[in-house]
Order: sequence, then structure tokens, then C-alpha cells
Amino acid sequence: MFINAMGLILADHKRIQLGELSRPRALAAIPFAGRYRIIDFMLSNMVNSGMTSVGVIALHKYKSLMDHLGTGSSWDLDRKNKGLSLLPPYINSVNINDGGEIDDLSGLLDFFRANRRRYVVIANSNVVFNATFNDFVARHEESGADISVLYNRDGMKYGSPGAILGVDRKGWVKDVLFNPPKPVSSRCSMGVIIIERERLLDLVNEDVARGEHDFSVENFLRRYVELKIFAMEYKEVLLRINSIQTYFSSTMDLLDERTRQDLFWSGLPVFTKVKDEAPTLYGSKNRAENSLISDGCLINGAVSNSMLFRGVTVSAHATIKNSIIMQDTYISEGVVLENVILDKNCVIRPGIKLVGQKEFPVVIGKGAIV
Amino acid sequence: MARTEIVALILAGGQGSRLGVLTKYLAKPAVPFGSRYRIVDFTLSNCSNSGIETVGVLTQYQPLALNTYIGNGHPWDLDRNKGGTYILPPYQKTGHSDWYKGTANAIYQNIEFIEDWDPRYVLILSGDHIYKMDYAKMLETHIRQKADATIAVLEVPWSETSRFGIMNTDKQGRITTFEEKPKQAKSNLASMGVYIFNWPVLRAELSCDEEDKDSDHDFGKDIIPKMLQVGMNLQAYRFSGYWKDVGTISSLWEANMDILDRPHDINLRDRDWRIYSRNPVKPSHFIADSAEVSNSAMTDGCNIFGTVDHSVLFNSVTIEKGAVVRDSVLMPGVTVASGAVLNKCIVSFATVIGQDVRAGADITGRCQYTNEHLLSGGITVFERGLKIRDKAVIPGNSMVTYNEPDEIIETRFRV
Repeated sequence: MFINAMGLILADHKRIQLGELSRPRALAAIPFAGRYRIIDFMLSNMVNSGMTSVGVIALHKYKSLMDHLGTGSSWDLDRKNKGLSLLPPYINSVNINDGGEIDDLSGLLDFFRANRRRYVVIANSNVVFNATFNDFVARHEESGADISVLYNRDGMKYGSPGAILGVDRKGWVKDVLFNPPKPVSSRCSMGVIIIERERLLDLVNEDVARGEHDFSVENFLRRYVELKIFAMEYKEVLLRINSIQTYFSSTMDLLDERTRQDLFWSGLPVFTKVKDEAPTLYGSKNRAENSLISDGCLINGAVSNSMLFRGVTVSAHATIKNSIIMQDTYISEGVVLENVILDKNCVIRPGIKLVGQKEFPVVIGKGAIV
Repeated sequence: MARTEIVALILAGGQGSRLGVLTKYLAKPAVPFGSRYRIVDFTLSNCSNSGIETVGVLTQYQPLALNTYIGNGHPWDLDRNKGGTYILPPYQKTGHSDWYKGTANAIYQNIEFIEDWDPRYVLILSGDHIYKMDYAKMLETHIRQKADATIAVLEVPWSETSRFGIMNTDKQGRITTFEEKPKQAKSNLASMGVYIFNWPVLRAELSCDEEDKDSDHDFGKDIIPKMLQVGMNLQAYRFSGYWKDVGTISSLWEANMDILDRPHDINLRDRDWRIYSRNPVKPSHFIADSAEVSNSAMTDGCNIFGTVDHSVLFNSVTIEKGAVVRDSVLMPGVTVASGAVLNKCIVSFATVIGQDVRAGADITGRCQYTNEHLLSGGITVFERGLKIRDKAVIPGNSMVTYNEPDEIIETRFRV
């Protein structure tokens, strides 16, 4: 598949914080769906569209993201010609004198100049879906728009941040409302836009000239009066991760057959870093039901309505309900967990009971010993 | 180019005919094993974990699946700039062409490849054993003992010595005599088919052996006895740990069950000695409300709605609601439809077991697929890409393979 476009993923979002989960890492690097990081979905979408050049803008806490992405080989983005570019902020001799203001944008300009693809697909990191961009890019080209934006009919269902679009009959964006208390429409931006590279360079240059340092999808949408923005609806399964609550509910949505089929079995693979774990072993007295379980686990207790990441040990007489247990966590005997999110490498000592509420899951940070 | 200390050569060309339909389309080293591996993963991972960076894989029989699986060696970290993984098929030469005629001849035909690396030592391996071994330690012993060749040996039960090549050694571990499948063994040290040779010595022996018209060109039968005869220093390197030759259907089945029953013997969870494999890129496996899973191993992409007991499932296996699978090995992409009951079955790639099929060890009798030559103990084997008719009944010791549609096989499709 050929596409004359490159990708750009914004690894952070100023308005999205996931507490303990985003404390050690960028939004894009938060583990999701058992064996992935959130960014894997967007990267796979871009790669499955035929893009061979993808930039990732990471502003803060990007060590975990860099570990995950490596050379990009897991996504076939380890290429001599472009491939994966990690774009951290940089401090240069000019901006260090401006009180150390970090310059997101001038590094970007080089990236856009060096990658001579016609279009750029720019995406936030809080959406999870499985699709290619080929048709959207073609429709953008036909429309004659400056920018095209993807949306679906979620409204403000996932809470803030949300950009509600007012769209006329022909699909032109006439209004953009951020986090409106009473949305006039259910059309909610997916945070994915398509723009011609040359046009983007002009806009970014203008921003730099104005001393603007913030590069975001929302900033582009805000300019709907001066720019022609075309809206395109996405109708398949989409999950948004705007908060701990929606992280939790989006994970639980994966237990639904239709969601799982659409995200994982539509024929487009979702790539991630390979870990070479052993197969998961089930003991004789386990009780597992309605759960997604990854490689390298040992299951000897009861697990229901839960998501287990790779290398999780569930000891005998432990009960895990409605919970998300991340990589290499050890659940000792007799532990009871309900509505809990455990980050990586936690150890839960024998007999501990942790019970959260469905709307307010208990979140335990990375490496905790409880 | 800088001199390479050691080059590993994996003999992966054998047909593995005793595995029946499982090796109909692929060489034995490419046969799936242990939920997420192929047999050859163990040897390749051992090389990688031992720090060996130059690996040649000698292929001959049905090489396509093996070649595509190994590729450039990336999954095993064997895609090196200095070194790397090389597939070495037999090839046409000026005036003549030869298949690999025996293990020694296969190496002989690749002397050019080995010479390019100019190694001090050559490690000869076979691609069809399940074990974890540090070849670096073996090389250390080889160097310390100033040996011409070192052969890895394993103590086997005395009752089984007649199945192996047996090494008789002196107290220091130097091999005095070698007996191929002796009736009355004097020792229970069996050769594992893992050899380290000083390359100049081996090169000379191979050339010499090639001239010998009466030779079978086999390491065990010809090269080793000849070296002993002329008094070379051959050392036995004792290995202790899990080792299994998966040359037969029953040993393949047993080895798969070993990962369930003896998980500590071949510890797949050892993070200091990982077994690498090519990843299928599938999501985490799903266990439904209606599922019952016990004493089993499974991996990414499985969807379990039925009962699975004491079985090994590979990626993307679907067990429908009401189906029951026991003591079985289901390879990638297999579907077991509702109401089907499998006991002690090995089902190859993507085969679909129809509704209410009953197959395996608990069903007595015979059918057109009964094969007591290769099968025993009720193990039932299905070829890849079959659709088994709903309600079919298949007795144990059957090897179900496609000739034409019949009352058992509905159709065959391309995998």
C-alpha cells in the first residue's frame, strides 16, 4: 500500500493526566490492553496505511517511551530512509537565553523540511482505534480543505478534554467548542488531523514568528475561521483515554466481543515491542472467566472481568475481579482485588484486600509493595 | 575480516519422517512446540544466549517454512553486522550438483562458508532437540582440555542405551570408544549430537571422509570413530538438565506435556536464558465466562469458550462453547467447534474440528487413517488445513491426512 503522507504523534496532552499511571511516563507510553502501550495503536494505524516516516513529539518523561520504541523495528520503522523519529524538545543556544523556554517547534521544522511527503497526519495519543488513513487522506485531497479532522459521535461521553465540532451540511467546520457544558452536537474531534506538509510548515513558521511554543491539534482546530477545516466521521470502534476513569472503562470495553473483534481481528495487526515471554500456564485449581490474559502469566487463583498484562503471577486462593494488573506484578495467596489498577512490578503481599469502586478504581503506582 | 572464534552450524535438513503428516509441508525444526515456539527456537536461542554470533542453518527438506521463519535471525538477536544468520541450502556446482548426503557431507559442502569466517572452532548442532545449554561453557572445557573435538553427552537410563550413540570414557572424560546403538552398553553416556571441533582438524577429516567411497558421511558413524581410531583427543562434555529428542510423535507429545507437568525442568520463564521465537502479533488471549481452563499452556490470540484441560495451545486457537479438549496439542489457528471432544490429539495448523466430532485416545476401533506404525498410546494426529466433518468419529492412533473428501474430512484448504 502506498500513501503520500507521513505521521506525527503527540505523545503528551497538556490536559490529560492519569495520576499514578502517567506519573512515570508520557501518556502515549501508558500500558494498555494487556500487551500494548497506547501509542502502539496509532503507530500501527500509520504503518498499516503504508507510512514509512513517523515522528513522535515527546516533551516530558519520555524515557519509558524511548525504551518502548527503540529503533522502531517492532513497527517496521527501522529504515534507512526516514522511519521513526523521536522529537524531544530542545534547548539551543538561542532559547536557553530566553529564560530556558523549551522550544517545541524549531526542531519540528527540520523534521517537516526533511520528510518530503505531501501530507501529514497529526494525532493525539489518547485515542485507540484500528484503521488506515488512506481513504481519509484521499477525501481530504478531494475536499480542497486546509485541514481535515476526524470525529465520531461520542459527544462528551468520555469527559474533558473534548472538542465538539459544529459542522455544516457539506462537512465544513463552522464552530469548535472545547469542553462545553451543554454540547450542541455529538460530533467530538478524535484529535487526528490531516494537513498538507507545505501548509503546515507555513503555519508553524508563523507560530514561531509570533513566539508561540505550543504545538497541538486543538490549536489548529481553533483557527477554523481563517482555515477551511473539513470534518470526516469515523464510524467504527473508538476508545478514548482522558482520565483514570475512562482508562478503566475503555479497558473493560475490550472484554466486549464486538470491541475486541474490531480492534484486533479486523485484519490489521497491532504491533508492539516483543517481550519473548513464556506461554501462560494455568494451574489445576484456577478459575478464570471473562478476562484477557497475556503471555508469561501463572494463573492459580480466580480471575474474572479483568485484564492481565504480561508476566503476572496470580497465586492460589487469590481473587481478582474487575481489575487491571500490569506487567510482572505478583499477587500473593489469599489476596482480594476488586476494581483495582496495579501498575508494573507491584507485589501484593498475602491476604491483602484492595477494593475500589467501578467509577473510582484504586490505583497503585509502579513498583509498589502492598 | 577479524577472526571469528566460533561458527555454529545447525543441521536442519532432515525430513523427520517419523512425525508423519506434521512434517509433510515443513522440516522438523520448524514444527511448533510448547505453545509459542518452533523446535529450532531452542537451538537458536542457546546460540544467542551463549554469545555465538555466526550461525549457519543447513536446510534441505521442505525448507520454505523454515527459511521464512528464521529469516535474518532478528527474533534471536542473530541479525549481526559482524556475524549473523545464514540459511545454507545445497546448491548447484560447476558440472554437478549434490544434495546433502549425510551430516558430515552437509558440512563438507559448506567448507567455503566456514572458511570465510576463518574460525578457530566449529560448533555442530542439530535443529531438533529441546534443551537449554550454554555452549560457551562447553567451549571453555574444550579449550582447557586441549581437545581436538568435544562431544556433549547426557546420562540416559541404562534401559534406553540401545537407542543412542554411547560414549565410553576414561576417568578424565576422554572418550576411548564410541558405540552406535549398542545392545550391551558399557556406559550410559549418550551423545546429544552437539560437537565442537577445532576447525583445521575437522576440515581435514571432512575432506578425507569425502574421498572414502564406503563412508555414509555421518558424524556419529564415520567422523568420530575415525578420529578415535587415529588417537585424537576427543573429550566428553557432560550435560545435565532437560534434553529431549522430539523425533517421534509420542516424544513430541510427551515433550509438550512436560511443559505442563514438569515446568521447572525446562523452565521457559527463566529470564536469564530466554527462549526467543518469531512473534505472531496477536492480542492477549481471551477466556470467556463459559470457559474452563486447567493445567494448560496457551498464548496470544486464543479465544476460549469451552473446556481445556491438560493441553498446550498455540496462538489464535479457538475453542467454542461446549467443546472439550484434553491432553492435546493444538497448533496455531486451530478451531474446535462446539460439542467436539478431543483426547490426546495433535492438530496441525488451522485445521477446523467440526461440531460434535469425537476423536482420540478414548475411542477404540480402527478407521482408514489408523496408523499403528507411527502412532501409539491413542495419540491422534490431524494434518494442517483440514475441515473435519461435523459428528465425525475418529479412533485413537489415527493420522488424518487428505486424499479426497470422505466421511471424516469435508475439505482441505490452503494454510
